[in-house]
Amino acid sequence: MEGQKHRHKHRHHSHGVQTMDFYAYQSGLRQWNGSYKVLSALLILILCIGLNDIWVSLTVIVTVGMLNVIGNRVPFRQYVELMKIPIAFLVLGCVAIAFGISTKPVGEYRIYLKWFYFYMTKADIWKAIELFFKALGAVGAMYFMALSTPVGELINVLRKAHVPKLIVELMNMIYRFIFILTDVQGRMKRSAVSRLGYIDFKTSCGSFGKIAGNLFILSLKKADTYYDAMISRGYDGEIRFLEEEKKVTFVQIAGMAAYLIALVLIWYIGR
Amino acid sequence: MTKHQKKLIVLSIAFAAAFGIVPQVNAMHIMEGYLPLGFCIGWGVICVPFLLSGFFSIQKKLKANRKNITLLAMAGAFVFVISSLKIPSVTGSCSHMTGTGLGAILFGPSAVSILGIIVLIFQAILLAHGGLTTLGANTFSMAIAGPFVSYGIFVLLKKLKVNRRVSVFLAAMLGDLFTYCVTSVQLALAYPSSEGGVAASAVKFLGIFAPTQLPLAIIEGFLTVIIMITLENYAQKELKDTKYLEEA
Repeated sequence: MEGQKHRHKHRHHSHGVQTMDFYAYQSGLRQWNGSYKVLSALLILILCIGLNDIWVSLTVIVTVGMLNVIGNRVPFRQYVELMKIPIAFLVLGCVAIAFGISTKPVGEYRIYLKWFYFYMTKADIWKAIELFFKALGAVGAMYFMALSTPVGELINVLRKAHVPKLIVELMNMIYRFIFILTDVQGRMKRSAVSRLGYIDFKTSCGSFGKIAGNLFILSLKKADTYYDAMISRGYDGEIRFLEEEKKVTFVQIAGMAAYLIALVLIWYIGR
Repeated sequence: MTKHQKKLIVLSIAFAAAFGIVPQVNAMHIMEGYLPLGFCIGWGVICVPFLLSGFFSIQKKLKANRKNITLLAMAGAFVFVISSLKIPSVTGSCSHMTGTGLGAILFGPSAVSILGIIVLIFQAILLAHGGLTTLGANTFSMAIAGPFVSYGIFVLLKKLKVNRRVSVFLAAMLGDLFTYCVTSVQLALAYPSSEGGVAASAVKFLGIFAPTQLPLAIIEGFLTVIIMITLENYAQKELKDTKYLEEA
């Protein structure tokens, strides 16, 4: 527990590869059935995007947010940090929708810039606001899946959904190799930083490129070694993973059905 | 202050805010929930033939030598790690490479399409870059269009006997720029502007993402060149080994 706490503190405010992975493993919903979680998240996602209603979006943001903070045990501040990741795209994207450029004076609000007009129409502004919340709701729904289901389990769901064996196997391996390479890269970077390799922009670019090049060479060597290791342990073209059987309870299905129906009702009433 | 001046100030504040709060610049992943459902499905369907051809080419490589499986997996992991790293930037904002141009030069575009979609899934669920419903659109722009252009330019310049470093730079940079253009068009198709339709909207999206994407493309070009120089210096043998991965 002590170790976990320490790790937790350490990870705070970081956007590393480990952050979301870490929360998926410690989630309070870990014991729920993987397929159930993936399917629910996808259905919420589709309803949130498909119904395209600001009240549905706000409901999803709040409820899924609570589910993530309480159910998935992601500290509130960390969750806010996670929601901030796509904010740059979201703000720029919504600004692009709200504003228009035209050579003719159109729209309710406009400024004239010698050659063209910047204009905004009320409809466009409303569209941008709706989209802003819709996208945030969708991100929340995706986080519900990502923060409750470790990647191994997720890949297993894909396998059950008849994704080709080759892809499933590649995904399993890539997932493991990502952490190995991230670890190696982190150590290379630390040693470069301690030798003033990141002192200014030009040096940083050089160091970054050299580290990436070295990482590539190392990854090829490791690929060789790992294949030999797998063969020596009887690899015959398929890696078999054992999985805990997790049953779906009636309460879970009823709960999710009620939630989805509630979303549709909110849309229906607000129409 | 006249009403006109007030409006101008409000607008300029909105613009400053939009460009001021750019804490993280990703390589133009369309975020989760941004595209309407029809477009999500449409872009997914468009990707299918490319993914199938990528799948069959990978299958062929594995039949030739089963050992390629760990190599391919490492290649995917490498592209992911490269794209997850903060790259040096002048402004202090935190940006990422796409790494797909490099991947296309090293492994060939059809392998990158399959590796790319896997990398995009992991980017969505591990880093929250991109999303699940926008996977099709992102796959098309980042794992298909960009790498194919990169690879095409690289091969073309090689045939024209242009300096290797220049061709690597151009391949990576133009691949990145092409990804950014395709993404802008994808966004414009989904959200045409009320005046001027898709074309006007595409100009808007191109314009608004230009300040973040243009420097990124140039930096990506430079970094890819430095990586390739390192590889040419230290990994002659390994580069030759991956040659067989290059053929589509």
